[in-house]
Amino acid sequence: MKILMIALQILFIHVFLYLGAGVKALLGVPIPASMIGLFLLFIALCLKIVKLEWVEKGAGWLIAELLLFFVPSAVGIINYDDIFSLQGLETILLIGVSTFIVMGTTAFVADKIFKRKDRETA
Amino acid sequence: MIYAAMILMTCILYFVAKKLYKKYPIFILHPLLLCPILIIAVILPFHVSANQYMSGVAFLTHLLGPATVAFAIPIYKHLPVIKKNMSIILISVTTGTLVAIMSSFALSMAFQLNSNFLISVLPRSITTPIAIEVSKDIGGLPTLTTIFVIFTGIIGGIIGPHVIKFLSIKSPLAKGLALGMSAHGVGTNKAREYGEQEATFSTLAMIFAAFITMIWAKSLIPALIHLTSI
Repeated sequence: MKILMIALQILFIHVFLYLGAGVKALLGVPIPASMIGLFLLFIALCLKIVKLEWVEKGAGWLIAELLLFFVPSAVGIINYDDIFSLQGLETILLIGVSTFIVMGTTAFVADKIFKRKDRETA
Repeated sequence: MIYAAMILMTCILYFVAKKLYKKYPIFILHPLLLCPILIIAVILPFHVSANQYMSGVAFLTHLLGPATVAFAIPIYKHLPVIKKNMSIILISVTTGTLVAIMSSFALSMAFQLNSNFLISVLPRSITTPIAIEVSKDIGGLPTLTTIFVIFTGIIGGIIGPHVIKFLSIKSPLAKGLALGMSAHGVGTNKAREYGEQEATFSTLAMIFAAFITMIWAKSLIPALIHLTSI
């Protein structure tokens, strides 16, 4: 019963994905259909056209199992011999270092502004 | 029939990897590392190529679309918190995207990566569907970008808790923004372990990072790429 409900809600979320695709085709904007769909669903929720209960469980499942949807693309790595070269190794090292810097800077900046704001309101 | 079997196998291996990683959080057991390795080990003896496998389980990749749409729900649920912190979100995520692009660029130059790698690695810090669009836009290879995005996610998910601890970040806001900015959906997945607020800010960081990077794709990135050709 719960699985059926989740499946139905995911089907319903597709309506917004295809509306997004429609808007993209109509306006020719370089934004992915799924991103436009996100905005359309958000607006529909705000305007109470769509009730939270209609999508909450399906959306919760999609977000919780997000990693699963990346798995097939990750298998595609064996198509890239280049990855298993020195350049590939260097790129992975680069990604590690850069991700570390990005995470540190973002956390630091957000935390600093947050603390300052906190002090102002206190 | 064979497609259904491949999807079923992928799901089973994924849930096994997920359970294992939850119990033993060592990096090699990360679902995005262990699961693809196991799948490759299963399909190779059957002479199934990666491309045949990927077209067989295209349905799973397709679900990234509705999953992106689904992020409307946490945003809607946390609207008041978002409105209150809009300036922090914008400032820290704009900084994050700049640091992501500039540091990837500088390190690529330092390692003297070939131009395919250099261009494809620039949009690596944002969610896959949009990274692919940006990659096409700036002249990169979308498949290569996808792989770099996944590596970013895996690394970000693994180092995230350590960085947060090391910098002694306490606020859910800063934790969430840092995870979503640096490791997109995989970081958001990690943020869910901290709590719902962290997950929401992570989601927001992910969405804003994608949009801001789309702007950089039209301005900063072409300028950087132009620099390499001088």
